[in-house]
Amino acid sequence: MELLSKLNSPFLYMVCGGIVLFVAVICVVFAVRAYRMGKAMGIDTGKMKRAVTASATFAVLPSVGILLGVIALSGSLGTPWPWLRLSVIGALHYETQVAEAASEAAGIGGLSIANMTPGAFATIALLMSFCIMWGMVLVIFNGKAYCSRLASPAPAKKKEGKKKKVDLSGFGDTAMTAMFIGLVSAYIASYIGNIISGNGTFSFSGSWLPLAVACVAALAMAVFIRIKEKTGAEWVDSFSVAGSMLIAMTAAIFLGRIAA
Amino acid sequence: MENMNENKASYGRYLERTHSLGRIFTVLVLALLLAAPFVIGMYLKAMPDIPACIRAFLSVGLVYLVSGIVEYLIYVPMLGAGGSYLAFITGNLINMKIPCAINARDIVGVKSGTPENEIVATLSIATSSLVTIAVLALGVLLMIPLQPVLQSPALQPAFENVVPALFGAMACKYYRADRKVALLVLAFMTLLFTLVPSLIGSTSMMVIPSGALAIGLSYLSFAKARKAKEGDKE
Repeated sequence: MELLSKLNSPFLYMVCGGIVLFVAVICVVFAVRAYRMGKAMGIDTGKMKRAVTASATFAVLPSVGILLGVIALSGSLGTPWPWLRLSVIGALHYETQVAEAASEAAGIGGLSIANMTPGAFATIALLMSFCIMWGMVLVIFNGKAYCSRLASPAPAKKKEGKKKKVDLSGFGDTAMTAMFIGLVSAYIASYIGNIISGNGTFSFSGSWLPLAVACVAALAMAVFIRIKEKTGAEWVDSFSVAGSMLIAMTAAIFLGRIAA
Repeated sequence: MENMNENKASYGRYLERTHSLGRIFTVLVLALLLAAPFVIGMYLKAMPDIPACIRAFLSVGLVYLVSGIVEYLIYVPMLGAGGSYLAFITGNLINMKIPCAINARDIVGVKSGTPENEIVATLSIATSSLVTIAVLALGVLLMIPLQPVLQSPALQPAFENVVPALFGAMACKYYRADRKVALLVLAFMTLLFTLVPSLIGSTSMMVIPSGALAIGLSYLSFAKARKAKEGDKE
């Protein structure tokens, strides 16, 4: 608990808040430049104002969803670090997965304040920053060239070769989904494996709490998906992951008592 | 005509400057984000464990390396130059920035790849990022008095189960996309963890075989479906 107090100290708020403020300044600089350029190009200012208003209203609900993510992570990483990660660059599912993997690698078992050490926190924080930086790296080194290539007309297609291969266009999306199925399955399977063999092969005496919490989250998510499909309310998406997590975490408090 | 050429030249200069500023700001933010763990480590009197970082990166980080490249290739054409720099700095792409930019584009009625889209996308992403920053700052400010409640032992089981809660929600979301592959991979991984329980402690490393198996099975089913489709056409 002493470590959690340090993770919520004014110093951490200052470090994280400073970066968040810097990013806010960048956004203002880009917005002002774009607005001025739009005006110079003769774009209707009413249209630009409508784009700003529409974006501001659109962003409110997902932002509240992101705030719920900060609350979810604040118990194990303190408030300032998740605040920084989710204000700038991050996304809830990414941050939690990477933090869990870093916890394992740092030797504290899993993401929990009970086992957290200062060294483990620093390791988790570095990995969270490092793992998601690829979009930024690519845009630094290749952004200009890529944008220029997109602006120039596409070259004529070469004639198709004789050898017939499977057309892989469209497999990208499938592969990404498969990758996430693999990632999720590894963790869910570890919870099941822990029940069956956690305290000795086929002893069936391991903790069932993580699997039960995962099931509650899956059920909550199914309800969110159902609501969205039935009502067509797109805003449900903004809350579905964070909302399901908070429902399952609340259930963990009660299920934990039964398991104990 | 002269006015049009002038506009074109000034837009060209704007894009040049956007790239320069975008690169400088992105490098600075990246440096700050990578430096912050070391600064915090100095405050906590413990530095990050680099070998542990490498191990964890090899397990779960590679997934995000691939998804980072894919996101970059797909989203830059939608967002334009200014929007891309901002979106990759501020994150939350799929759940907010992309739909927000598309929504603004549709409302204003501009086409992808045009100078108007460049302006509207930049305005949209800058605005949505500022709204998120403001909402989170306000929320965090309100959370400060709640810290004792959030740290109470009664709530600890909730925070200790953040990860199962996340994977449960994600399982429901992704398993719907391909139930057959999901069931096969889950069954295989369960068998593996049951027969070799020592692997449970390094689940993040097991993401590699699990992901490879899922992609392999998806490829087989994708190729089969594509061949069948081509056969039908012929």
